[in-house]
Amino acid sequence: MNVPAVATPEARFPQHRVPEISASGVPVSEVIADSADGERSIVAFLCRECAYSAADAAGNARTSLPPTIRTIMVPCTGRVSPLHLLAALAEGADGVYVGGCLEGQCHYREGNFHALDRVAFVRRLLESVGVEPERAAMFTMSAADTPRFVATARGMDATISRLPRLPRS
Amino acid sequence: MPLSARGRQVAGELRGATSGVSAGVLGCEVVRHDELCVGCGRCVSACPTGAMRQDDWFDPAQLFSAPAGTGRGALAAALRRIARHEPSGPFRVPDRIRTFRGILFSADLCAGCGACVRACPTGAVEALPVPVGDVEVAPRGLAPAGAGR
Repeated sequence: MNVPAVATPEARFPQHRVPEISASGVPVSEVIADSADGERSIVAFLCRECAYSAADAAGNARTSLPPTIRTIMVPCTGRVSPLHLLAALAEGADGVYVGGCLEGQCHYREGNFHALDRVAFVRRLLESVGVEPERAAMFTMSAADTPRFVATARGMDATISRLPRLPRS
Repeated sequence: MPLSARGRQVAGELRGATSGVSAGVLGCEVVRHDELCVGCGRCVSACPTGAMRQDDWFDPAQLFSAPAGTGRGALAAALRRIARHEPSGPFRVPDRIRTFRGILFSADLCAGCGACVRACPTGAVEALPVPVGDVEVAPRGLAPAGAGR
């Protein structure tokens, strides 16, 4: 295996794809592996068409974001299943959220409505086993709405930092 | 469970029907194994009498009893790692959640036809033969001489 002398952007910021995250959950621990001891981590599943573009624009504008946020791009929030959210929590994340298009503006018609209901389902599931439902959330935003992306990321960070670390058996 | 009243009624209306003792013939006993159910609802659409019904609640305990290696088992494994206590009772599921809806089975409405058993992709619905002693077996073939005149 030849190792490139200079790390490519892909090597430094590996792209994580959704199917790798689902069953074993190993890549999620990889996503959050660089978080320091005691630091919380939040996994954000962002839709390629809207929320990820907003996140990209936030990066281009050099807006500072909470260091706890780890983003995973998904083609549409309709791809995110309850298993993705729960696997992320089980593998070390303290919070998960889904960022999608505005209601009625999904590029695949109604993927974000499916995601909204799945997040609501996961919240009830968490509640039924005694875990705070605020650890899972869903936000919608347009591709140009960078301030809203930053505000939701900071808001989620504030919510999770108020909660205790998630115990894992 | 012997043939229900409704089952006997339907069986009586069918020409040539006997109170069969094998699965797939009218008159089997339907048993549900909730831990294998994936909530696809095919038994509900296959049921001719409305004995199978899909409701808008979900019991997390069903998730926790799902076998490992299935999608539900993986979900339960992830949930078990972060759970603080045993799952509490059923909750209402949001509108678009289809595969996590509880399936209700009413033995009174069941005719014992076995359509749900053939429709089930995971073998969560099982048909058991009715114990022969429980059923009044009608004589096969011609009616006895003198009857029905």
